[in-house]
This record gives sequence, C-alpha cells and structure tokens, in this order.
Amino acid sequence: MGLSGIEIFKKLPKTNCGKCGVPTCLAFAMKLATGKAELDACPDLSEDVKEELGEASAPPVRTVVIGTGERAVKLGGETVLFRHEKRFENPPAFTLFLSDKMDESEISAKLTKFKETSYERVGLVLRPAMVAVKGEKDASGFMALVEKVCNDTDAALVLMNEDADALSQAAKTCSNRKPLIYAATMENVETLGNLAMELSCPLAVKGNSLEELAELSEKLIKMGVKDLILDSGARTAGKSLEDQIIIRRSALMKKFKPFGFPTIVFPCEMTDDPMKEAMIACQMVAKYGSIIVLSEIEGHSIFPLLLASMNIFTDPQRPMAVEQKIYEIGATDENSPVLITGNFSLTYFIVSGEVDASRVPSYLLIKDTEGLSVLTAWAAGKFGADTIAPFIKKCGIEEKVKHRKLVIPGYLATISGELEEELPDWEILIGPREASHLPAYLKELSA
Amino acid sequence: MSKIICSAAIRGAHKIVGTAEAKYEGALKKWGPDQEIGFPNTTYYLPIIYGMLGIPVKTLADAKKVLDKCKKLLPEPVSDKVWLPYLAPALEAGMATFFAEEIIEAIRYLEDPDFYTKGEDPLPDNIWLGAADDVIMRKRGVEFVDGTAPGFAAILGAAPTKEIAAKIAIELQEKNLYVFMCGDHEGKTMSEQLIEAGVQIGWPTRLVSFGPSYMAAVFAIGFATRAAMSFGGVKPGDFAANLRYNKDRIFAFAMPLGTVTDEWYANAAGAINWGFPTIADTPIPQILPTGICTYEHVVSNIPHDQIVAKAIEVRGLKVSISKVDIPMSYGPAFEGERIRKDDLYFECGGGRTLGVELTVSKDMSEVEDGKIEMIGPDLDQVKEGDKLPFAMLIEVAGRQMQSDFEPILERQIHHLVNYVQGIMHIGQRNIMWIRVGKAAVEKGFLLKHLGTVMHAKYHQDFGGIVDKVQVKLYTDEEKVKEILELSKKVYKKRDERVEGMTDETEETYYSCTLCQSFAPSHVCIITPERVGMCGAYNWLDCKASFEINPTGPNQPIIKGECTEPVLGQWKGITDFVNKASRQKVEQVSAYSLMNFPMTACGCFECVATILPMCNGIMVVNRDFMGMTPCGMKFTTLAGMVGGGNQTPGFLGVSKHYICSKKFLLAEGGLKRVVWLPKMLKEELAERMKPICEEMGIPNFADMIADETVGTTEEEILPFLEEKGHPALTMDPLM
Amino acid sequence: MTFEIPKVSYSGKIKEIPLGRGENIITVGGESCYPFHLFEGAIPHPPKIAMEVYDKEPEDWPDTALEPFADVAGDPVAWARKCVDTYGAEMIALQLASTDPNAEDTPADEAAAITKKVSDAVDVPLIVFGTSNTDKDTEVLKAVCETCEGKNLIIGPLGEGNYRAIGATAIGYKHTVMASTPIDINLAKQLNILLGNLNVPDDKIIIDPTTGALGYGLEYCYSVIERIRTAALIQEDERLQFPIIANFAKEVWKTKEVKLSEPEAPLLGDQKKRGVLMEAMTAQCVLLAGADILVMRHPEAINLVKESIQDLMIKGEG
Repeated sequence: MGLSGIEIFKKLPKTNCGKCGVPTCLAFAMKLATGKAELDACPDLSEDVKEELGEASAPPVRTVVIGTGERAVKLGGETVLFRHEKRFENPPAFTLFLSDKMDESEISAKLTKFKETSYERVGLVLRPAMVAVKGEKDASGFMALVEKVCNDTDAALVLMNEDADALSQAAKTCSNRKPLIYAATMENVETLGNLAMELSCPLAVKGNSLEELAELSEKLIKMGVKDLILDSGARTAGKSLEDQIIIRRSALMKKFKPFGFPTIVFPCEMTDDPMKEAMIACQMVAKYGSIIVLSEIEGHSIFPLLLASMNIFTDPQRPMAVEQKIYEIGATDENSPVLITGNFSLTYFIVSGEVDASRVPSYLLIKDTEGLSVLTAWAAGKFGADTIAPFIKKCGIEEKVKHRKLVIPGYLATISGELEEELPDWEILIGPREASHLPAYLKELSA
Repeated sequence: MSKIICSAAIRGAHKIVGTAEAKYEGALKKWGPDQEIGFPNTTYYLPIIYGMLGIPVKTLADAKKVLDKCKKLLPEPVSDKVWLPYLAPALEAGMATFFAEEIIEAIRYLEDPDFYTKGEDPLPDNIWLGAADDVIMRKRGVEFVDGTAPGFAAILGAAPTKEIAAKIAIELQEKNLYVFMCGDHEGKTMSEQLIEAGVQIGWPTRLVSFGPSYMAAVFAIGFATRAAMSFGGVKPGDFAANLRYNKDRIFAFAMPLGTVTDEWYANAAGAINWGFPTIADTPIPQILPTGICTYEHVVSNIPHDQIVAKAIEVRGLKVSISKVDIPMSYGPAFEGERIRKDDLYFECGGGRTLGVELTVSKDMSEVEDGKIEMIGPDLDQVKEGDKLPFAMLIEVAGRQMQSDFEPILERQIHHLVNYVQGIMHIGQRNIMWIRVGKAAVEKGFLLKHLGTVMHAKYHQDFGGIVDKVQVKLYTDEEKVKEILELSKKVYKKRDERVEGMTDETEETYYSCTLCQSFAPSHVCIITPERVGMCGAYNWLDCKASFEINPTGPNQPIIKGECTEPVLGQWKGITDFVNKASRQKVEQVSAYSLMNFPMTACGCFECVATILPMCNGIMVVNRDFMGMTPCGMKFTTLAGMVGGGNQTPGFLGVSKHYICSKKFLLAEGGLKRVVWLPKMLKEELAERMKPICEEMGIPNFADMIADETVGTTEEEILPFLEEKGHPALTMDPLM
Repeated sequence: MTFEIPKVSYSGKIKEIPLGRGENIITVGGESCYPFHLFEGAIPHPPKIAMEVYDKEPEDWPDTALEPFADVAGDPVAWARKCVDTYGAEMIALQLASTDPNAEDTPADEAAAITKKVSDAVDVPLIVFGTSNTDKDTEVLKAVCETCEGKNLIIGPLGEGNYRAIGATAIGYKHTVMASTPIDINLAKQLNILLGNLNVPDDKIIIDPTTGALGYGLEYCYSVIERIRTAALIQEDERLQFPIIANFAKEVWKTKEVKLSEPEAPLLGDQKKRGVLMEAMTAQCVLLAGADILVMRHPEAINLVKESIQDLMIKGEG
C-alpha cells in the first residue's frame, strides 16, 4: 500500500480501454489503490510495471486463499491495526476440529452440525468455514478420515499431522481441494516446503516461539513458498494475544515479511470448557486470528461468534444495509400499524427489536436508503417524501391493511406535510425520535 | 476609581474594624481567649476569613489574629491633597471590612444566640435567618453551579415603598435570582417591606432575610465564598481562585437602596473583590471602566423600574427561558406541517401580501428584553380568509453580539416559527410566507406570539451571543413598507460584507470536525472564500457557532504565516490539522486538488477530480446519478474519497466554493473546469458570470462540457478543442 | 533469528479513579498501554465487573436471565446482597429503570430512597444509572446525590442536557459521574471539557461512550472505545484520559436472539448458553477495545469474563 490512485494512474497505459472492467484507467487506478481490484485485470501492463506496482500495492499481510470454488476461504489482506483506520478485510474462518482419535459417530455428528449451521443476516450468509482434520494415530486412519470429510463437505480443509509422510500422502490425494497443510516445523520444514510448492497448496508454519516462527517463515519464503499461515505456538489466551499483536504489528509497522501472513489459532487446545473456548475464540476475532479452530460447532456459541466477526469486520465507512421490503413483525392483520424507516442495518435491527418487544404486531416498511441512517438519508435526498411516496404505493402495503395511517420516524417530522400531499389517502403520524420509545408509542397507538 | 467612593469606603472600613476590635475586647473580658466562636452547623468556620486567609477561626484568640491582619490591610484614610488611583487600597479596605464584620457577627451569635433563627423560614417573632448552615448552603449552592439560580442580589437598605420593594423582589425572582437582604434605610428594611406587602420570604422563595444590620452582608458574601470551596474545589486560603470562581460563576451584585453610608461603601468595595458590581438607586458617583468586574463596577441613580434590568446587564447575566409560552404546542414534530386551503384562516407574505422578516443587532441600551409590540391588527381582529401585509423586526443586543451574526440568527426564523403547531412558514427575508390554520386561531394564537417564540428561542439557542431580544410585528401597510425599505438596506450591506471578505483580510479561519464520528481524521478548514465542503457551514456560521458553543466542533485557528500562497498552506493551519486529525494528516492545502488536498468527510456536495486526457477538472454533484467522464459515478467517487483520507486528484467541494476566486487556485481555478453536470452548470450560471468576465472569457460557461456532450473523456475532448477551452493549453496537471 | 518487537510508545496514561469509600475503595484506570498489552506497559488495575440490580421487578427479561435472581427480583436490597454474597460482585450497578416516564415514572425521592437502602446494604462501590431521560434523570440523580452524601457513588448518565445540574450536585455531595455521549469521540471529549469547566474534579469522571449489543451496533462502540483509548494514550488527548464504562447488559438481554427458545430456533442452540455467551462476548469485545468497568447481568457470563480477564492479565508463556 501507500501509493495514491494518481501515482498508480501514472504507470497505467492511459488508454481507457475498459478491458479491466471499469471505464477508465483512472477509475482502475483508484480501485487498485483501495485494494478493490487486482493488477492482473489490466492486460496491457509490462512486467516491470506489474512488479513495481505489485510490490507497492500488495497488502502487508498477504491474502491467502484456502480451498476452491464457492467454499474457498480468503484470509489476510489486512492493512490496518484498528478497524476504524480503514477496515478489516477478511473475516476469520471458524474451523471445526476433527481427529482420527474420535469415534465415527462423534465425527458424523460434528460434521452434520457443521454442515447445517448457517445463518442469514443482512443478506450475508454466516457459517463456519473450514474443517481441520488431524491425524494422531496411523496414516491409514488419517487418510480414511480425510477422504470421508472430503466426500462429506465442500468446505476448505486443514490437514494436520506430525507425521510428514502421512501428511504428504493425504495432501496429495486432495490437493485439488487446495487444503492448508499443517504444519512446517524445525524438523520438517524442507520436506513440507517442497510439498506445498509441488502441490500449490498453502502451508502452515509453526514455531515454538516468535523467533523460531520468524526463522521458519523466512526459510520458506526463500525456498519460494508464497502462501503461508502462521502459528506462533502459543496455547494460552494471554500469550496468544501478545503474539497475534506482535505478528500483525511487525507486518504493518516494520514491513517484516516473515510475519506478513494470516495466522492460525487453536482455542480448542487452550481449555476443556466449550464456553471458555468460545470466549477465547471471540478474543481472536477482535485481535487478529485468521483461522480459529474450534472443538465443536454449536449454535449457542458459533452464532454469537459469527455475529462478533460480522461486527468487527464491517467496513466502518460503508454502512450495512438490509433488503427493501415489508417486514411483518408478529401476527399482523389488516388493522396492524404501519411504520417506515430506512435500511441501515442497525436502524432495522433496533427498530424491529423494539417493535417486537412492544408485542403490537406491526408492519415495518424498510425503504432503501443505501444503508444510510434516517437523518443522513433524508439530508442526502434518499428519504424524502418524493421517494417514500412511490415506495408506499408500490410495496403492496395498501393491499395488506385497511387503514391508511403511516408512522414516520420522529426525526422526519419535517417531511410530514409534503408526504401528506404526495400520499393524499394516507394520514401521516409522527413517531418517536428514539426507537426505545416505540413500545410505549405503539401500545398507545393500538389502544 | 472614584476618589469620593474610595475615601468613603476606607473611612467606613476604619469604623467597622474599630467596632470589631471593641466587640472583641468586650468578649475577651467576658469569656476569655479560649471561648469557641463561629457560625452554626458549618465546617467552613467564618467562611470569608477561612476562604481568603485559610485561617479557621475557632476561638476568640483566633479572631485576634485576623483583626491584626485587618489592621495591616487597612489603608491610611485618604487625604484631600493626594490624587491617586485608589482602587487597590479601597479593595483591601473592603476585604478588611468583611473580616471584621464576620467577627462581629460571630460574637453576636455568642452574645445573643437567638438573635437569628436557625432554618430556612422566618418565624412569626423573628424574621432574621442569619448565616446559612451547610445543609442549606449545599442544597442552594448547587443551584448556583447548575444555573437554576444564576446568582443573587445583595440588597442593602429598603425601597421607598413596600410596593416598589415587592416589585423589585418579584422581578428578581422571575430571573431566578436569590435576593439576600440586609441593612436598613431610615429604619426600614426590605425584608419587613416584603412581609408588609404580603410577599412570602425565606430560602424556599429565594427571598432571604439575612439580618437587620448592613453587616449581615457577610452572610451573602460568605455564602458565595463557601460555594467556591464546596463546588469549585477551591482550597481554603486560595483567595485568588476563590475570587475568580465567583467572578466567573456566581452572577451576584450589590443593590443598595437608599442613602449610601461610609459603611455601605466599605461593603460595596469588598464585594468588588468578588467581581460583584454595585447598582444603586441613588446618585452616587459611578465607576464605569471595567477591570475587576466583568463590566462596570458601580452604576448609580437607576430608576426603580429599571434597576433589575440594569443589574442583569451590568453583571452580564444570561436570561434563561425554559418554556415557549404560547397557546399552541411547540416542537420539531410540527415543523413539517402543511396548512392547506381548507384549514387556512389567515396568511401573509408569499407574494400574496407584502412580507418581510429581519433580525438586526442594536446597542444594549436600545433593546428592552422581552418587549413584544404588535403594530396593526392582530388575528383577533381579522376574519377568516383575510390577508394582511406583515413584517417582523427582531432587534437583538448582546455583549458578544456582532452584526456578522445577524444573518445566522435570521435564518433560524424559518424553523423556529415552523415549530409552532398550526403554523406554516416558508421562505426567508422578503420572500417569507406565513399561513395560520383555523385550529391555531381557535386556540387563541396571535401573530404577537411569534414574538414570544423568537424571544424565547433566541435566548435558549443563542444565549452565548444574545443578551436581549425585542420583537416588533407589523400588519400596518405603511409600517411594513418602512421595514421593507430598511431590510433592503440591511441585505445590501450584508451582501457587501460577505463579498468584501477575502482569505487575505482575515487572520482567523475555522475548523469543522463535526464529521469525525465516521471520518476519524477529517478536518475541514473553512475560510471566508472556502465554504465547508458540505455547503452548510460558511466562515460566519463557524464564527457564530464558536461563540455559542466554545468547546464545539468549530474552533478558530490563527492561520499564521503563509507558506504556500498558491496551494493555500499556512503554518497555523498545518499545525492545527495535524493535531485535530490525530497526526494522520501532516499537511493540507486549502486550494489544491493535487498537492495535499483536504481530507473529505462523506457529506460533500460535490466531488472534483481530474480528467487526465483533457488536462482538466470535472466536478459532479450529489444529485447527478449518471456516469461521468472520469469513469466513476458520484457514489463511486464518494466511496473513494470519503472517510477522512487525503486522496490526491480527488476533493470534496461545496457548490459555493466552485465560484470562489480561491477555487483550486493551484490548478488554475475555474478555468480548469472542463465538465459539469448540466443541472449544476445551470445552478451556478449566475454566480459564474462575474468570474468568467474577470478571467476575460465571458462565454466560458459555454465551453464547459456536460452529459449532453458526453460522459467519457473521448467524447468531450473534441468539444473542448472546438470551443478552444483554455485548459487544453494550460500547464500539465500532472 | 532475531526480530525486534515493534512496541508503541505511549505518551499518555489513564487517570486512576477511586470508586466507593473507605476500606472498600476500588480503583479503576491507571493503564499506560492498550488493553492487556502487558509486554509494553502497565495495567495496575484490571477491568472490573459491576453486577446489575433493578429497582423494580423486571418485566421483559427472558427466564434464562431472571432465573438466578428469581428469589430477589422484587427487592433491590436483597438482590444487591445476593450479588455480593452469592456471586461475589466487585461492584453493583443499580438501574433505576422504573423512573422512566415511559415506564412507571417512579418519583425521584422514592428512587433516591431505594438507592440509599441499597447503598447501605452493600459496601462495594455502587453505580447508579438513570434512564437517559434528560429531565427525569436530573431530578432523580440530584435526589440520589443528596440522599447518599459521602458514599462516592458513580452516577449517570450525564449528557449534554443535564451535565450541569447533575454535575454540580455531584460535586457538592462528592460523587463520581459518568459522562455519557452517543458513540462519538469528539462529543465525549467535549463533555469532559465541559465537566472540567464546571469544576468536576478529574478523579471523579468516568466516560460512558454508549455500548450496544453484539449484533446490534457493537462495532460502533468497539471502535469509539478504541479511538478514545488511542487518543488518550498516544495522542496526548488529556480530556480523554479517563476510565471507560460499558453498560451493555440491558441491550444484550433485550435482543430477539436471547429470547428465542431452542425449539423456536434449533440452529441457535441452547437458549441459556446462547444468552450467556451473547453477553460475555459483548463484554470480551469491549474489554479488548479498552473498557475498564463492565456492567453485566448473568452470573455465568460474569464468571466467563472474569476468567478471561485473569487469563489476559497473565503475561503468558507459550
């Protein structure tokens, strides 16, 4: 990073050919500068320029992809220490831990949970991303388990085995799935380094200290391995936090290449209490864990973890938005109140939560405000009477209710008159300014 | 300082200290040096002495030490031959007076324990309350800190009649002030006058009868001194901090009613130490120049019907109004109401009749706060469907008021009037339009109430700059015409003032960090010729915003040495931006797109960016949804440049700034602009004219391409070439 | 190989604020580094947890949250005692929820009397929250200040609209205040400046930056806390060098996701564990952002967070 759009633009062909998918070289330069495009998209760059720009525009934490197809997992690519500075790029991959020491029924049960666990929120699919398979017995058992998992799920894999031969064997059979090979250590670094290059698979590297990790990583970089995942060996919450911070800082502040990769952490090895394990995992979400390996996937822990990850990895400058439509809250009927607000996800969640809490079944109309909050949207001309009125007419609410009373947010009182003119059949009611006053308001309204 | 006053104060102080010594000697003989003395139920001992000197007076022996100090403090009596500035000695004499009086009052508690009642209310047989104990002090003192009671009036003596006394007391009550009463004038006391007039006195009604002697003034000053120690964190003995706290926080003043004796002068001189001025009803000499007190020190010969207003003005007290007192509901929920034809009772302005609204600033003496005049028929004298000409002239005055703030205040009329339920207001200046609904008239709404609204809201929202507000409402055609003429003159002057202001003529610019909540390192620099990129804040707005809210998002910046006149870089600005962006932005140019352009928040009206092939600049406004020649729509551009980052080649700008002489000076200004959306070009057409003429290309606007010419550089370049657009031959942009 | 640990040089330090009184004073703040960054700075006082107590029996809590307090829910004194005696609460946070004019509108003197009883019943520091209704809070908290003189309560929220009235009273009766602003670093700073101008002593101010629940705007709070801490520690923003309180339990336990039973939402797992983790993870996030005092509800969530704090306060070995 560090090159401005204009600096990048100067190196581009300036043909505005559009082959990269955007109309102008300037627009392409801006996308490169903000990390939203790849250099390869431009077919007319000389190798020299590519190298120069690639060097300058590569994020200090390398983007590493594990797996293939729809379930490929992108990790790293981080450019900041704090999410408010810009944004965190790739949310962590929650990873189910399986071992050939587990009995079959346990494995099946865990895999089933893993597969069925998926939530939709704000138009995003939230789910655990990867499965880690560890061989702790003999090579054949490990192979069998790897095969079973491969057949059972398309999810990206981590292959773990201290036996380098068994690991190589397993990796070769499923290299088309691009699994993460875990892990290169002092003992096997050359073997596994070569294997990773041969198979074009990402390789985890594990040190017993940060120093050792740096040494190993550097060795692998020199060998030509490109996609690494770091394990500092820490197995306590406190030490992990420290290591994760030092790794991220070294990459960002010192441009220390050996640490310029995503990390893997093992809450599953830090405690026997699943609740505590979830807490440690949560810590890793905030502070820089990329692959977070868990002993189980249970709704009550993975759901909050996925929420935490969604929260922390939201772009602070780009509000999340929900779909524009009629949301029916509770057992609505033709007399239920009708409320409208904007589609900023937080607005939706808070307003729908309060309407729900009021126990007054209501229609909540969410109008597309491009993710802006009510007042901002209004100020930007996206939530005025001129745009609300057509939405009311088209959204179908007029068929759902007999009455014609529309509650607008208290902060929008200023548009009530205009809205009444645009919607002559409707009576416009001014709701409260704060969502927390909605229950009282709705109770009174429906009384 | 007036020699007469000083001489009298020093004479008075000598007398009072003499009395204290005599009292002390008598008490010493009777009770001995170890006898305990003090005011009841307090941990502040004799509070003035404790606060000023740090001496806890617990016994008669302790009092002796203080009396010795008094004597040292006492200046020589003034001789007729010497003509010197007497302020310092008089102030010291006043201080000695208070110490002596506290000792006298403490001995009074010893000699006559029942002289004062103990409690909040007067008793049937004893109306004198004496020193406030700590419970009262804390409960009431809070009100001085949080502003529910801005301060107190220490009244010495008595009014000529009980009616006048009652009127003054009630007027002070209405301003939420406490009234501390002591002393007599010709045997009459204010406290007794109030009782005779049927006014309830005591702490709960804020009319406090401290004592019959002028010496009870020390209970008032002692109260203030304790408040500073209790609420101000001021340490006992830190007299400077205590006095400063009182001057800045406690809006108190002395109001002697009746003959001012030497002893009264001595007390008044003492009060000046605390920053409390004296406002007298008798023709004593005045001390006008400011110094210790916020404004004047002694103002005299004020008629009784004006004395409260004068006192408030001299002490710099802000009027607080908590409620808009009109028969209709009032609040932002009613802002968007429409009054339709069927509901209409009355209207004015809006092209139907003459209509104008105007806010002007006046001298303090020219404005009577709260005065609302209706000239011509009001709503109770018109029929449904009537129309009348209308003018509203709001005259404001304030020690911090500047004529520059007039347009800002005037702009508020629109939403403040709209907040009234059943009223619709549209437009401003002489294109204003008001409609009053039937429901409002039924509830008794009058046009005069608009004055009530403006008076209350100006005080509430703009207390920082407005001290007094009076409103004149006209429906009389001749008068309305007069105001209309006046307004035209005022508008002309204002417009000239704004046009005359340049970045060179002003040394102070303003910051705006309002958007840092979502753009953490964004700092907007607003200069006279560079409106904030949101278009909502110009230099004057920021100036007023700072006066009203000194700790708010608009801070003044002394621009300092100009290091790059063309780029627009100043030392002071650089330092400020660096700090306010929390070290994220190291350098910023006010006039450049390419070199250290200003950061952008996200709320900019327009984005300016380069068109490399055309060697020019394009600007696109938020409302233009289509593709632009740079290959990005407004929304894409906004995503690229927002969030508080510096993005060379991209800049958030306001529409107003496009027509400024300082617009992208570093890149060649307006001359560089090769593309604008049609709607924007049309909107700016009028304002662009003079600039184009100045650059010697009167038809320049026609050379600028828009979306009808093309939305790619390839499409617009031939057009620019054909028109001979100057940008094509200017220095390369990069 | 050797590599240099990239350390941050901190130029600021969070002020130490003593809470409560006498022998039971608990000090918060004092950090000279980012949260738990023990390898480069000192954290003399680990973050503390205050347990919530409500002035009236809560109506809208899920059973999973109410269950630990079912025997004391109508009696704030017994509730507070249970928190201290049974659950070992380090502090109590009394939520005067019933004073809300939109709820029961309990009068100020009644609320003050309840507060007094609670403050007499426990000797740990007592935090008292109004309902963020500017006018009512002014009334209630002024009365609380007066009634509980000398107890060094921690009262709030003080907002732009009532900081003067409540702040002045708190000065007079010597309590600590929580300066509350809506998720905005500059507003937080401004309010602290204003409190300073009012003469509220620096060792009597706690920042309440407003905290949402996991999944409900937590990211905004998380970032504003991180920004406040960065400004305080690195950018010499003296008026932000105060401890931070996060009052989120009430936000967490009103979300839909803690109220759904397992049969209603089988994919969300066990209802109780889910609620506990929603609360504990909200806490975990704000802890890592920089909060010093966490206002929490469920004893099991509290235990998880306490353990987490302990774990993170160990300068760990591999």
